[in-house]
Amino acid sequence: MGPDRAPRRPFPLRTRGAVLLVLLGAAVWAFLYLDMSFAQLVPNEGGLEIAQGFFSSAVAPSSEVLGTAVRSLEATVIYAAAAMSVSLLLGLLLGFLASTAWWSGDPVGGRTLFGRTVAPVLYGVTRFVIGFMRSVHEVLWAMLFLAAFGITPISAVIAIAIPYGGTLAKIFSEMIDESDRGPARALRAAGASGLQVYFFGLVPRALPDMLAYAFYRFECALRSSAVLGFFGVATIGRDIELAFLTNRYGEVWTYIYVLMAVIVVFDVWSGHLRKRFVA
Amino acid sequence: MSVAAHDVEARIAALKRERPRSRFLRFSLGCFLLLMVASWVRGDFDFADTFSAQRGENLERFMMTVRPKPLRERTDEGWVAKPWDWDVAADWAGERLTTGVSRAETEGGVEAAIGTLAIAILAVVLAALGSLVFCWFAARNVATPQPFAPSASPPGPLRRWAWRGVVGSTRVVLILLRSMPEYILAYLIMSMLGSPAWPAVLALAIHNTGILGRLNAETIENVQRRPLVALRALGAGRAKIAAVGIWPAIMPRFLLYFFYRWETCVREATVLGILHLASLGWLIDEAKARGFKYDEMVFFILLGVVLVLVGDVVSAVCRRLVRRAS
Repeated sequence: MGPDRAPRRPFPLRTRGAVLLVLLGAAVWAFLYLDMSFAQLVPNEGGLEIAQGFFSSAVAPSSEVLGTAVRSLEATVIYAAAAMSVSLLLGLLLGFLASTAWWSGDPVGGRTLFGRTVAPVLYGVTRFVIGFMRSVHEVLWAMLFLAAFGITPISAVIAIAIPYGGTLAKIFSEMIDESDRGPARALRAAGASGLQVYFFGLVPRALPDMLAYAFYRFECALRSSAVLGFFGVATIGRDIELAFLTNRYGEVWTYIYVLMAVIVVFDVWSGHLRKRFVA
Repeated sequence: MSVAAHDVEARIAALKRERPRSRFLRFSLGCFLLLMVASWVRGDFDFADTFSAQRGENLERFMMTVRPKPLRERTDEGWVAKPWDWDVAADWAGERLTTGVSRAETEGGVEAAIGTLAIAILAVVLAALGSLVFCWFAARNVATPQPFAPSASPPGPLRRWAWRGVVGSTRVVLILLRSMPEYILAYLIMSMLGSPAWPAVLALAIHNTGILGRLNAETIENVQRRPLVALRALGAGRAKIAAVGIWPAIMPRFLLYFFYRWETCVREATVLGILHLASLGWLIDEAKARGFKYDEMVFFILLGVVLVLVGDVVSAVCRRLVRRAS
């Protein structure tokens, strides 16, 4: 902290060391708090048997259930895609309301009465709603729906769509707010209205990034959709659970490989999209 | 005047032709839209059933049982609400927060919430360490025969292919690590290990190693090349360049990703408890399993919301500090 300290020296080494030490210390605390020991990593007799059976089947996936696997996979993709369609609508609508660019000053221009009164309230409420949608996990939404009116295909879709819609809205609003303001200013100078500036100056700039991000979320939705299989939805997770409970490990591996294959495809695809559009 | 107008139109048409377009992006968008429409056509979605009167009644009954138990009473017609009393509700909530649930091995909601945070911290630290092992081998600028060589004398094809193999196989490993959902990983690990914490920690650590490994590799590939070339010219080898040239440069971003993933881990760790692992999810599941105590279930879910919001705020503050410091 001396006067000879260089003014813009980024992230001094001593701070870095301290940060890393704090993080490692936190991990040690967690280890102790959870009463963990490395001895617990050695499976007991029953666990060892399961582990041996399970891992030795990795090279011998069952080909008999391939048809079932593909059908369940189709269901998994259907739930994920249907959920994405709903969450995209939610995300676009709420993302619009949760961005600041459409009401708070530049480039939309000086604040109107609406921009000073109604808009900030609307913005705050939307932020709150988005935060709540996001902070309940899709599995918990599914459990709530299950309890409230039984799980149906549509409630499973909505269980995924709510938290995903919230996340999309948050990211979309940030992308819109951070997009380049140049075109928006030009439109403003040419006499475009606030909403015109927003939809023709700001949103198009952010669209490729938004699409790339939505694609990435679709990959996540595939995983969520598979997991909901453990909660009574007819996706591939249900087959994994059933096969595992009845010790048919070869079949478990078939399902795992099929699921991994489709997730890897979308992972690579969305990775390429993001590399090109998200800096 | 008309000539000028014509010019303007021609110019607009030219600009429209020249605007940036990507076939790949359009193709992806097309596939995406098609898939979403197809899913509603192919899927077996029954609107009449979902919004039937019986499900409406179920919902009504559920809304009543969500009220804390002391605030409703059973009559011949089922549960009836008592007038809302904040003191009673607060007592009930306090009891849920601190009273042990023997089968869930916790002393109540607070302890389970701290356990959830602990699982998330340990998992993300393990994942960060794991990713720091993998990321160097997945970065194309480091895993190459002559990294940052000022004047590249072409290396033999064998060495070039060997290094390409290293990059490719590391990336495949990372992709496989992150492709499995944490919940399924935890489910599988849990059947082999009896411990209430390790399955959740390992599942989260494995999945996030794959994610952080990829993100760190991308960061390494984006590090400014010239200082590293200078280091190389001074005689530094691969390991030295990595230690004094690359690591200091990627550290801020490494921390940003670290906190971002920790945030997600808190969310996921909550849910993994449903598998009877040491987190809030255990209480959520117990509440349902012990006679459908939906009041408790909803209470613990809301506690999870608070926990996630706390995680978000901590993560946001840490990330802002990192941004400001770098």
